[in-house]
Amino acid sequence: MKVSFTLNGEAITADVEPRTSLADLVRGEHRCTSVHLGCEHGVCGACTVLIDGKIARSCITLAVALDGTAVTTLEGFEGDALMDRLREAFRAHHGLQCGYCTPGMLITAHDLIRRKGALSEAALRQGLAGNICRCTGYAGIVAAVAAAMDEHGDTARAAAIAAE
Amino acid sequence: MSLTSAPPALAAVTAPRPGCIGDRVLRNEDGRFLAGHGEYLADLDVPGTREIAFLRSPVAHARIRAIAIPEGAEGRVFLLKDLGDIHPVRAVLTSPGFRGSDYPALAADTVRFVGEPIAICLGATRAEAEDLAQEIVVDFDELPPVVEIEQALDPASPSLHGWPDNICFVSTPGGGDLDAAAKAAAVTVSREFRMARQCVVSLEGRGVMAWWDRRLQELVVYSSTQQPHVIRTVLAKLIGVPEHQLRVVAPDVGGGFGVKNNLQQEEVAIAALARRLKFPIRWTEDRREHLIASPQAREHRVRLTAHADAQGRILGLEAEAVVNAGAYSIWPWSAAMEANMVAGILTGPYAIEAYRGRGVTVVSNKAPLGPYRGVGRPSACFTLERLVDEIARAVGREPHAVRIDNMVRPEQMPYRTVTGKLFDSGDYAESVRQAAAMIDVPAVRARQTRENGKGPRFIGLGFASYTEQTAHGTDEWIARGLTEVFGYETATVRFTPDGKLIIEAAIQNHGQGLETTLAQVAAEELGVDPADVVVRHGDTAVSPYGMGTFASRSMVMAGGAVGRASRQLAEKVKRIAAHLLQVKPDEVTLAGNCAVAGARSVPLKSVTDAAFLHPENLPAGEEPCLDETTTFQPLSGTGAFAYATHAVVVAVDTGTGLVEILEYAVAHDCGTMVNPMIVEGQVQGGVAQGIGNALLEESPYDSGGQPLASTFADYLVPGAPEVPTVRIAHLETPSPFTAYGIKGMGEGGAIAAPAAILNAVNDALRPLGVELNETPITPKRILTALHDARTERAR
Ligand code: FES
Ligand code: FES
Repeated sequence: MKVSFTLNGEAITADVEPRTSLADLVRGEHRCTSVHLGCEHGVCGACTVLIDGKIARSCITLAVALDGTAVTTLEGFEGDALMDRLREAFRAHHGLQCGYCTPGMLITAHDLIRRKGALSEAALRQGLAGNICRCTGYAGIVAAVAAAMDEHGDTARAAAIAAE
Repeated sequence: MSLTSAPPALAAVTAPRPGCIGDRVLRNEDGRFLAGHGEYLADLDVPGTREIAFLRSPVAHARIRAIAIPEGAEGRVFLLKDLGDIHPVRAVLTSPGFRGSDYPALAADTVRFVGEPIAICLGATRAEAEDLAQEIVVDFDELPPVVEIEQALDPASPSLHGWPDNICFVSTPGGGDLDAAAKAAAVTVSREFRMARQCVVSLEGRGVMAWWDRRLQELVVYSSTQQPHVIRTVLAKLIGVPEHQLRVVAPDVGGGFGVKNNLQQEEVAIAALARRLKFPIRWTEDRREHLIASPQAREHRVRLTAHADAQGRILGLEAEAVVNAGAYSIWPWSAAMEANMVAGILTGPYAIEAYRGRGVTVVSNKAPLGPYRGVGRPSACFTLERLVDEIARAVGREPHAVRIDNMVRPEQMPYRTVTGKLFDSGDYAESVRQAAAMIDVPAVRARQTRENGKGPRFIGLGFASYTEQTAHGTDEWIARGLTEVFGYETATVRFTPDGKLIIEAAIQNHGQGLETTLAQVAAEELGVDPADVVVRHGDTAVSPYGMGTFASRSMVMAGGAVGRASRQLAEKVKRIAAHLLQVKPDEVTLAGNCAVAGARSVPLKSVTDAAFLHPENLPAGEEPCLDETTTFQPLSGTGAFAYATHAVVVAVDTGTGLVEILEYAVAHDCGTMVNPMIVEGQVQGGVAQGIGNALLEESPYDSGGQPLASTFADYLVPGAPEVPTVRIAHLETPSPFTAYGIKGMGEGGAIAAPAAILNAVNDALRPLGVELNETPITPKRILTALHDARTERAR
C-alpha cells in the first residue's frame, strides 16, 4: 500500500505492507536509527517520535495510517534550541548510560517542556512515566529535564518581558 | 594470604587534578548517544542481510517426534542437523560432584523449557521470518514438567538430564565450631526466605549478526555481548573455526547487567550457520523472547539460622540455599553459580567465626539462570539482613546498632572470612553510622510514633549492609571451579603521530562510562586531555586479548592495565622529551598535553613527531613509535571488596498494599573513585533495579511450565515515579591490592535495596503482626499478609 507523509521535513512516499510499523519503516529504508525498539508493544517509550507535533509510539503505529502527516524523529531536531539545551543538560547531569532509552526520553522531555512549561518534580516524574530507563535510575534524567525546564521557563519569561 | 610479592606500583590518588583520576569528567561517549547516533546491533546496515526468527518451543518438556518444514522453504529453515559438525555447549565446574549436561545450539530430540530454540527461519524482514516459523509443525511427545523448587528437590520427579535426581551440585562452605556457637547463644533466630525468579531486562535485547568475510577468510560475528574475546574462544571450539579466523565484535550495547555475559545458544547457532551461507544473517531479540527465553535470574529459597549473644552479636550461622537454575548450565558460569555465590558470601560484612552453609542447585523446566547484577548477593544480603533485623528485635536493640557491633573492624583488615574471602580495607561500621545519620533515625522513630496507627499509612525504616566482592582474580575463579580463569585484563595505549592517544581495551563499555574513565587514567599518567582520547573496545580485531565487562571488574582491571601501560609509555615520552629539551628524563613531568621541565616545555606533538616520523631526533638507542601493551592482575586473587549501608524510609498503604519510598540514603566505599559522577550514576541505577527486585519484578510460571510474564504489561520494571533520587555519601578507603586503590562497584546498588526495603516494610507493618520474607512484595502479597494477620488475631 502506498503512503505519503513528511519525515523530518522531507516528503516521502513508501510502499508498505499493511502490518508495517512506523518504526520499522523509518528505521529501515530511511535509516532513522535513533528510533529504538525496546518492547514493540507500546510500553517502554524507546521508539517515541512526533506525529503532527504530538508524541507517539512508532512501534504500535501502522505506517499506512500516516498518510498526510508530518513525522519527526530525533534526527529531525537539528538546530532546535530546546533540544540542544536538553542534550547539554542530559550530559551535564549524567542522564544517560547505555543511551538506548535516550532518544525517546529526549523527545518526551521536549514535549513536556513545550506543553507544560514548568512542573513540580512529582509531575515531571509522572510525565516521564511512559519511558523506561533500565540504567540510570532516572535521577540524572529528572535533574536534566528540570534544569532545561527552568531555563526554558526563564527564557520564555524573559522573551515575554522583552516583548512588553 | 594469596598475595604476590610486588607492592602495587600505582599508588592511590589523594589530590585529584582536572581531567584525571577523581574528577567529575563529563562523558566522551554522550555525544553520539544524544545525537541518536549510537549504533546498536539492529542498526547495522550490511547489504544483503536476511533477518532471523527462531522457532522456539511452546512447551516446557517434550520429546520431539518430528518437525515438518513447509514445502518450498528449503534454504530458509535450518535445524541442528543443518549447522554442520558442531558441539553442544557443556558448561561444567571442575568441582567434584558437579553434574554436567549438554545444551545443544538448537533442540533436536528434547525440549526442556518454553522458548528453547528449535529452528532458524530466514526472511527479508523479521516479519517474513516469523511467518515462516509459524508454518513449521513440530510433533511433540509431551513429558511431565518439573517447575518449582520443591518439585525439583523431590526424587520422585522425572529427571531432566538422566541423573539420579535433579540436583546439579551441592556446595558446603563453612568453618568454625557451629555447635559451640549454638550452645553459647542467648538467642537463636530462624527464618525461610524466598526471592522470586526475575528477568534481566536490558532495554536493548540480545542480538547476533554474522557473515563469512571472503577477503579476510574469517567469520565475522557481531553480538550484543559484554565479553567478545571470551565468546570468540568458546565459539571457535564449538563450531570448529580457528580463533584467528574468527572476529567477534560488540557494537554499542544497550544495557547488559549480566544477561549478555554468557555464551548464547543463538550465538552458536547463528555463527555455525553463517559459515555455510553466502549472505549475512541477523537475529534481533524481541521483548517476548527476552522475557521468556533469555537467561533469567534469582529464584532462591534460603533457610537461615543465627545464634547470637544477648547483645545480638552473631556467634554462628547456618544456611541452606536452594536455587532453581532452570533447564541447562550456561557457559561459562554453570547452573551452580548462584547457589555457590549465596552460600559462599552469606556471612556478609560481619565477623562471624562459625558458619555452616549448603548451596543446592536444582534443575527444572524453566529458562536457564544466568548472571544478573549482584549474582547471588542480593539474595544473600536480603536473607542475612532480614535476619539481623529479627535478631535485633529478639534482643531489643536498634537494628543498625546491632549491625555496627557485628562488623569486621578496620584494625582487623585485611580480614579472612570463614569462607576464605579476603576483605581488603575499609571501616564497615562507619557506613552504618553515616547512613543512620543521613536518614536521621530518631526523627523517623518520632514520626512513626506520631503517625503510625492513625490512618492506613504506616511508616517504616530499614537498613541493609553488604560487602561486594569486585574484580575477582585468578584465585577466586579457580576456587569456583570455572573451566576458564578470568584473572586479568589487558590494554594497549598508543599515540598517533599527531600527538593524540588511542586506548585499545578488551573490555566492553555498555553504559559504565569506560570511554571516559579509561581516558582519565591515561590523563593521570600522560598529561593528555581525556576529552581527546579515543577508547576502542569490544572488538577482537582492535584490542589484545582480555575478558570483558562483568563482575564489577572493568575499572579495576582495565583501569589497572591502562595505568600500567600509560606509566610505561610515559617513561619513554619523558626520555624523548628530555632529549628534545636537553634536560634529564627525571626532570620531565607530563601535563596539559606537554612535557615540562622547569620553565621549558615541549608539546607532546613534538615528542610523537620524533617518535613516529623523525627517528633522527630520538635519543641514541631509543626505538621509534610510542605504544605499550600490558596486563593487570590485582594483588589479591579474591579481588577488592567494596561495601555500603543503605537506609530507607517507606510508607506502606495498608488499604491498597502499595509501598512508597520516601527517603533513600546510601553510604558506600568503593576505594578511590575515578569519576564520582559515574559512581553515583551506578549506585542510583543499581538501587532502581533493586527496587524492582523488592517491589515489582517477578517471572512466574504456571504448573505446566508456561512463563506468565511475557510483556512489559505483566513484567513490571520501575519507572521514574517509583524511584526516588538517592542521597549518597562517599567513604573512600583505597584498596591495598589494586592500581590507584580502586575497587569495583557496578553491582552494589542492586545488592542491598531488596533487603533494606523489606526491612523497612516489615518495620512498618510489625505493629499489625505482619512479617514478609519473600520478594517481590507486591500489593497482593502485602494485602494477603495483612488479611492473614487479622484472621490470626481474630482467632
Ligand atoms: S518500542 Fe515502542 S513503546 Fe517500547
Ligand atoms: S541509559 Fe540505558 S536504558 Fe536508559
